[in-house]
Amino acid sequence: MDLLKKKWLPEHADTWTKEDTITIIISPIIYILLTIGCALSVLLIPLGFLLLFVGIVLLIVMVRLINPKLSAISENYEKKQKQYLEDLEKKVKWED
Amino acid sequence: MIPFGFLDWFWLGAFLVLMVGSGIRFYRLGKRSESDFFLAGRGLPWWLPASSVYATHTATDTPMWVSGVVYRFGFSGLWYTFYAAWCAISAFVSTKIFRRSLAYTQAEWQSLRFGGLSGELLRGWVSGWQVFLNMFILGWVGIAMGKVCHYVFGWPPWIGLIVFSSACAFYVLAAGYWGVVMADFQQGIIAFIIIIIVSLKGVHAAGGPGAIIDKLSAMGETGRLNPFSFTGFFEGEFPVAWFITMLVIGILGGLGMGTAIDWYPEAQRIQSARTVKDASWSIWAGSALVMMRNAVWAAAILAFFVLYPDLENVKDYEMAWFRLGFEHLPVGMIGFFFAAIVAIHISTISTHLNLGAVYITRDLYHHYINPGASQAQLVWIGRVATLILLLGSFVFGSIMENITEWLIFALWIMAAGVWLPGILQVVWWRFNGWGYLTAWIFNLVFSWLVVWVLPAFEVIPHLRDYQQFWILMILGALVFIPVTFLTKPENMDRLVKFYAMSRPIGWWGPVKREAQRRGLI
Repeated sequence: MDLLKKKWLPEHADTWTKEDTITIIISPIIYILLTIGCALSVLLIPLGFLLLFVGIVLLIVMVRLINPKLSAISENYEKKQKQYLEDLEKKVKWED
Repeated sequence: MIPFGFLDWFWLGAFLVLMVGSGIRFYRLGKRSESDFFLAGRGLPWWLPASSVYATHTATDTPMWVSGVVYRFGFSGLWYTFYAAWCAISAFVSTKIFRRSLAYTQAEWQSLRFGGLSGELLRGWVSGWQVFLNMFILGWVGIAMGKVCHYVFGWPPWIGLIVFSSACAFYVLAAGYWGVVMADFQQGIIAFIIIIIVSLKGVHAAGGPGAIIDKLSAMGETGRLNPFSFTGFFEGEFPVAWFITMLVIGILGGLGMGTAIDWYPEAQRIQSARTVKDASWSIWAGSALVMMRNAVWAAAILAFFVLYPDLENVKDYEMAWFRLGFEHLPVGMIGFFFAAIVAIHISTISTHLNLGAVYITRDLYHHYINPGASQAQLVWIGRVATLILLLGSFVFGSIMENITEWLIFALWIMAAGVWLPGILQVVWWRFNGWGYLTAWIFNLVFSWLVVWVLPAFEVIPHLRDYQQFWILMILGALVFIPVTFLTKPENMDRLVKFYAMSRPIGWWGPVKREAQRRGLI
């Protein structure tokens, strides 16, 4: 299924795609569902358990949606990190 | 005063040995380098910084604050705590960008994003402001612990302030961030367990969930169970306009950097994560735990409201969660509860001791005073800086009652007028250091005028906090946007280098094309 793409090329992972858009929309919704769901569930109000359940389902969807992309970005970036760290140390010492 | 038995003292002693001892155990790792002392060598899996985010934001004053808003407004009061939702977007936008910059601090980020004099002025300003702010937070949280000790033991507040902050300083001085993050992990677990136990005990003491709902209904207070119980769009104590403002500040703020006070401790956790992916999930998960913790507290505070519905003095109902613990836990568990409060307390203290020290060491000493310093020297400067922050916090804590109102104002003005520039620095290539610096300076001027001076002379009415936010944002934009266009853009070489490394989102077209032309991306 295209929505849950598992393999990302580094150059594609670094561009903004629909996966990013969907993630930043559902991420705050998950926070709201978990917060309200948790508060109501402690008082054993059925709506609370429903909200918690929906929040957890959306969380699983979000992880499956964005995690492969994050992995590709990380792997690509770490190859260059050592050079970037050397540049950073030069900058703090006014050598750059 | 609360009577302590042998078992209670045992819990407290055992916890202190465990917490301080486990922090000191990482002495050898902490002393290896500046990167180890302040970022744990940038090698942590996501769940360690996540637990540190959660533990840091669970402070002694946090249950007082949550108790205050939930006792007043019921579950709607939870929205007051929703500023933490900036991590919902930040985890997947600005956290990634900041992690890739590799900057130790938000101050260092300024001199990577902006060049020349404006970049250095911003770095100096942000680091100085953060040293002050961390000292202030240490004093604030420290004196809250002093008040709890006064409630439990009858001690003068300064004793609680000094004793527990000093105990915490042992392992921060020895092991730096390694000690902070390892102790935070176990303190976070202890804190979560006790929050669940005390909150469920509180619900039980009020007769159980069903009885709480029935009693609220009998009192005509069922609206307290509804998180969306507003008093009108603009009218009343809890209007929809305030709610929308809070959502905008919290959620959209995640696109930028420095849009919330919490950005600064989170920045350190982001850089301590071993990969970009770990950084993203650590921030997301840590804040999710904060939200759910608030929710559990909120249910307990509704139980407290049912037990004590007529409290009018803020100082009485702000102690709600502490009272549930001390009044309803059995003998022998009181010490466990108090030890957990100590865990809650020192997890926050340790973070701010180390965080303030990184600004002194990395941004002020290493960059401006001694650029050629050795790693051993930098670790020692980090320790001296930690000690300075500890001593400064005692001064702040002792005068806190008199200055709190002014300092809350200072916190507010730092958040309102630089919220939009905090986003623009990430998403707009043309926004430059002079624009951002102007935003900081004019925000100081405008906030004094809008919040204090003009209402005092009856030029404008006293405005609600959400109205102040929008007005300060617009007034600031009327100055910093023209200044940005009237001054030169940042140097293209710098921007291209920054873009290739951090890959920011938004309006970066000319920089992206230049980076592609040079074959950098």
